[in-house]
Amino acid sequence: MSYVIGPGCIDELDRSCIEVCPVDCIYIGDRKSYINGTECIDCGACEVECPVSAIVVDRVAKKDDTLSAFMQDSVDFFEKPLPGRDAPLGDPGGATAIGEVGVDTPMVADHPAT
Amino acid sequence: MTTNPSIIETDVLVVGAGPTGLYGAYYAGFRGLRTVLVDVLPQVGGQVMALYPEKQIRDVAALPSIRGRDFVTALEEQAAAFAPQYLLGKQALRLDAGATGTTVRLDDGTEVRAGAVVLTAGIGTPNPRPLATGEEWLGTALSYFVVDPEAHRDQDVVIVGGGDSALDWADALAPIARSITLVHRRAHFRGHAATLARVQLNDTTTVVTDTEVTALDGDLAAGRLEKVTLRHSNGEEHVVATDHVIAALGFISDIGPLRDWGLDLRGRSIAVDRAMRTNLPRVYAAGDVADYDGKVKLMSVGFGEVALAMNHVAVELDPDLTLFPGHSTEES
Repeated sequence: MSYVIGPGCIDELDRSCIEVCPVDCIYIGDRKSYINGTECIDCGACEVECPVSAIVVDRVAKKDDTLSAFMQDSVDFFEKPLPGRDAPLGDPGGATAIGEVGVDTPMVADHPAT
Repeated sequence: MTTNPSIIETDVLVVGAGPTGLYGAYYAGFRGLRTVLVDVLPQVGGQVMALYPEKQIRDVAALPSIRGRDFVTALEEQAAAFAPQYLLGKQALRLDAGATGTTVRLDDGTEVRAGAVVLTAGIGTPNPRPLATGEEWLGTALSYFVVDPEAHRDQDVVIVGGGDSALDWADALAPIARSITLVHRRAHFRGHAATLARVQLNDTTTVVTDTEVTALDGDLAAGRLEKVTLRHSNGEEHVVATDHVIAALGFISDIGPLRDWGLDLRGRSIAVDRAMRTNLPRVYAAGDVADYDGKVKLMSVGFGEVALAMNHVAVELDPDLTLFPGHSTEES
């Protein structure tokens, strides 16, 4: 179980969610942030904090075509090598320690400007 | 430097005073074991108190709906039947597990010698999220917790944060401090609305939103803070006379010192067998920190796991006992 950040975050990147995540599992790409589903403890602290309501729980996201695409995209962000990288990010165990990733998945990078 | 660490002897040491640890303290008492609970936070209740004290919990047996805070109070009351000893605000740093007993050293030098240790550490050690500025004042005029409200009597206090802790402390310190300035970076508070309403009514409290703390100034060597600079999101700055800053910006948790205890870890969890034993002798784990195939991290599951662990601890410490405890109704 986990939460997922949907398209509302693209080019918004408010970061309020990051301030409240108790396990530091929200990673900053370039245009959007991504929740690591393996590290997420499903507490829901981020959901209420997002000023654009971009964060939804996976149980809800999977019933929506757009959001379920972002669920898969969030998995890809960690499990597939990002553009320009040789190895996947994996589960780093904390976003602060690795800093901003600075790269998005192809799906988010190619997303029309919001 | 000579230290004379205090030594505490007990049957079982529970590391982590969240719901699973509190129920474990009750259960250990029920099995006739003396219990010590240690927690790095200054309060019991773990994640429930740290993350959602005001939310309703609806997935624990026999409790259709209960506020987090009340749930923790009830767990504490249940455990109190066996008078466990609480060591709060202290961190378990080192563990030596042997065939005849365990020794855990705490960050204040205390040594706890226990027949067995049950790790109910949840998501691990919560590290306060630091304030972006003024870290050099930590320990003098900057703190992450209110341990003793009286320490702030007649002070001008700045509280930073938008969650329940910030609001609770603003509320609790209002009759004690000379003034309180509650500073939140956003327009809306995520803490309980009723607490915010109460805080806003206090004559000595000023609530400042869309604002961040950008500087702490004073006599650092003497630990005497004088003023804090606040910057509104529109760029305007103003200075507030301040004796003490309390930053309640939430926590980032990690498994902490447990990582180095030689436990068989699965990510940030500890692998256990079906009796909740870890790979170390006389060391058990239960609740969110314990992991096995098919695990589901719920309080309901943690309660079952810690009961299981304590029954096995009871037999390990006294092989004449039976694993099955009998029924709690028999004592009424």
